[in-house]
Amino acid sequence: MSGIYIHIPFCKQACSYCDFYFLTRDKLRQPFVEALLSEINSYGDTKFSKEIVRTIYLGGGTPSLLNNKQLESIFGALHSVFDIDAEEITMELNPDDVTRDYLSMIQDLGVNRASMGVQSFDKKLLEFMHRAHNPEEAFSALEALQKTGFPTFTADLIYGNPGQSVETLEQDIDKLLSFDPPHISAYSLTVEPKTRLGKQVELGRIDPPDDDRVSEQFDVVRTQLAAAGIEQYEVSNFSKPGKEAVHNSNYWKHENYIGFGPSAHSFWWDESGANRWQNEANLKKYLNEAPEDYREEEETLSKNTLAEERLMLGLRTKWGVSEIDLKQSYGYSFTDSQWQWIEDQVEKGFMVTENSTLKMTSDGLKISDHLIVELLS
Amino acid sequence: MKNIRNFCIIAHIDHGKSTLADRLLERTGTISEREMQEQVLDDMDLERERGITIKSHAIRMDYNRPNGEVVTFNLIDTPGHVDFSYEVSRALKACEGALLVVDAAQGIEAQTISNLYQAIDQELEIIPVLNKIDLPGADPDGVGQQIVDLIGGTKEEILQVSGKTGEGVEDLLEAIVERIPSPKQEVDKPLKALIFDSIFNSYRGSICYVRVMEGVLKKGDGITFMATKKEYDAEEIGYLKLKKEKTDQLEAGEVGYVIGSVKSLQDAKVGDTITSTKNKADTPIPGYKEVKPMVFSGIFPTNSEDFEDLRGALEKLQLNDASLSYQPETSKALGFGFRAGFLGLLHMEIIQERLDREFDMDIITTVPNVRYEIDLEDGERIKVDNPSEMPEVGKIADVWEPYIKASILTPADYIGPIMTLCEERRGKYVNQHFMQNNRVEITYELPMAEVVFDFYDRLKSGTRGYASLDYEFLEYRKGDLVRLDILLNGDQVDALSSITHRDKAYYLGRKICGKLKELIPRQQFEVAVQAAIGSRVIARDTIRALKKDVTAKCYGGDISRKRKLIEKQKEGKKRMKQVGSVEIPQEAFLAVLSMDEED
Repeated sequence: MSGIYIHIPFCKQACSYCDFYFLTRDKLRQPFVEALLSEINSYGDTKFSKEIVRTIYLGGGTPSLLNNKQLESIFGALHSVFDIDAEEITMELNPDDVTRDYLSMIQDLGVNRASMGVQSFDKKLLEFMHRAHNPEEAFSALEALQKTGFPTFTADLIYGNPGQSVETLEQDIDKLLSFDPPHISAYSLTVEPKTRLGKQVELGRIDPPDDDRVSEQFDVVRTQLAAAGIEQYEVSNFSKPGKEAVHNSNYWKHENYIGFGPSAHSFWWDESGANRWQNEANLKKYLNEAPEDYREEEETLSKNTLAEERLMLGLRTKWGVSEIDLKQSYGYSFTDSQWQWIEDQVEKGFMVTENSTLKMTSDGLKISDHLIVELLS
Repeated sequence: MKNIRNFCIIAHIDHGKSTLADRLLERTGTISEREMQEQVLDDMDLERERGITIKSHAIRMDYNRPNGEVVTFNLIDTPGHVDFSYEVSRALKACEGALLVVDAAQGIEAQTISNLYQAIDQELEIIPVLNKIDLPGADPDGVGQQIVDLIGGTKEEILQVSGKTGEGVEDLLEAIVERIPSPKQEVDKPLKALIFDSIFNSYRGSICYVRVMEGVLKKGDGITFMATKKEYDAEEIGYLKLKKEKTDQLEAGEVGYVIGSVKSLQDAKVGDTITSTKNKADTPIPGYKEVKPMVFSGIFPTNSEDFEDLRGALEKLQLNDASLSYQPETSKALGFGFRAGFLGLLHMEIIQERLDREFDMDIITTVPNVRYEIDLEDGERIKVDNPSEMPEVGKIADVWEPYIKASILTPADYIGPIMTLCEERRGKYVNQHFMQNNRVEITYELPMAEVVFDFYDRLKSGTRGYASLDYEFLEYRKGDLVRLDILLNGDQVDALSSITHRDKAYYLGRKICGKLKELIPRQQFEVAVQAAIGSRVIARDTIRALKKDVTAKCYGGDISRKRKLIEKQKEGKKRMKQVGSVEIPQEAFLAVLSMDEED
């Protein structure tokens, strides 16, 4: 089985924190869709089209900038090339694009999970993030999701913003909870160097909150959502039982996926080995050149590298990583000194071992980057 | 009688010594313009870059006088830095005359004066030379007066040349013949040859550069090094032209080299006298001394696996540089390394740079310090050149530290900043002496420890580069000195201990703690950073526990990037040094160890 990711590289405006690949020129949308179709078609009759596709994810950028016809042609191409038996088709939506008609249109195309880019309900924060929508649009978009009876949905929140208090965060969470979301992704703000925010921080105009305060907010998010029956299953992902994101979870389990569109990444692991590759983040090339020309160099992964990836990804989730899985799928086992280190972390309350599965505690999760480097060193 | 002139050049860095020497080589036909590589004498890359001479050199020239007479010149080039003043004294000993070369725009500098006095003490004939007279800023009159004030004579006796254009070089060549006496040529006495430098060649062993003072050194003769008492055979002897030129004998008055399968420079020390094994001289040439290191520092490989390579590199350097000493040292924080002794700070820097350039060694060096003498309560006196060897506070009766007499030459405008600097460094004012051209010689007695720690840089930056410094060892004096320890969660970081004056310990302690707090990444637990004298904590900072370190997004496109970051962090961890349970990154050590007063 495999998953498909499609990157739609268009936005109305640039959010200050975002370092994904996107452009704000709308004239290129149709040419992009056409190039996308030919990229999809280039996979016809390859080993990649032989596996059953179980998840599709439309991300961006802003996929909801595409119209009915454009989306229809994309899904049409996917169905003609791949054997699709999808349990989850997710599409990222911006609140300002969402109408009830738009929602029923994408539902008709097979989208069964909406991912709403809410980020916050606070007017000032949304402005600071340079989002295209306002709080009212966020409310009405979530309302529309409820009213159209969309099969399932998730909403994004960002916390740990400069100047954000625990109170405004709690208010954001409460407001979101009033829509009874099955799933929430809550991200602590990351300052990326090549963004507007990154520049401002570099120039000393903005002070990101210190780690202690973000850590506190991380706890607020976790406990407040848990109280509403929405449990943390990954560092930034929370859901009601059984409503975990399938597509995203598959990334962490080394399921195969193909990425389409500029800057999209792919991963494929079969009997001939494991590889990662990516399309160049360059729309001009994407429009004018053949897939083999904008596809960047493939990286072949050893079993050991895969095992380290598995630990890096799995330890971020509530499922952790089982020793048996490591041994059987990756031929990897911990050394004595690694075990010693693990026992030490268990004692300190940063990790747990249950039924030969290694997991982080919630304290461990907060410093998991540090712990993973330690574990692998 | 052979027609010989042996001379050296006394000059300050940048005053054009090497360029002028190149002109002499050219005009005497020793070297053609085609072979001319700029500044032939400084043959180490480092020497060329820094414009300083580290080793002594010698070169023989045959000068054809306009009157048809041929005279042999031996130019002995001397090191130009206070760290190497012993080598300078030996090179002077090998000469009858010296060219005092002074930049006509800049005037005389401290180092020049000190070497000049040495030359006068050794009764060398001084030929004053104003160089760079072609420069627009040249002030031959004013600078000429400075020279007259220093050595007497008249301005008319001062030669005016330009090493760059060659102007005045003919007159200089004639003056060398006319004014510098020919060496005494007592060939009938037993052999006495002065080693004024020696270099090491991996095939031939030590090559000694010698001036034969008395007697004759013959090829094949048995020779004895009088200080080390080692005996060898003079397998090869010769003259030092641009290349070595073999000959059968060197007579009294001549300069050349001798090779005798001398396995180590330790056997052929600068200043020692070579005599004939069969017909030994009664007494050696006076002035030989064992060079003693003045400055000490730990040298550790950045990567502990490189310890053996570092040992190999130091061994090779020592073959070429007998003044470098070292012995193994173990640091809890930095692992296995060496404690090395140097003649001075420049010497230390040179060794560090050569380790980097010639051996590609990545090293950490600890803060340099001097050698202290400590009287213990039980009456014993010990020498300490490593802070870790300093006994407990309770066992110490008195600590003695070396003092130097520093002479600083400066334009009068900078007297204020220089005095401030010297006072800050616990200096004791001796006097000041006004000279021509608005220049002053200021004399201070300073603890040497204060001078090894970035004093020279501060002096230069405080005087826009105009001041120059020279110093000589004075004596050991009592001082209120303490060992300042740095502790992380109670564990001492031995590599960061230093010996300092009590009054400065508080400031220094606070500064180091602050720096470490800034540079040691948060750990899973809180870390106390303390500075202490004995068991008394005098400064403290806290590195709070790591509370959050986790990537927010880790989806399909983030995985490669994240994995590569982890790879990099793993590499960085390898270079971390562990003290107790605390991990310290390399950069934190480097930052603290290279911290200067301004930081």
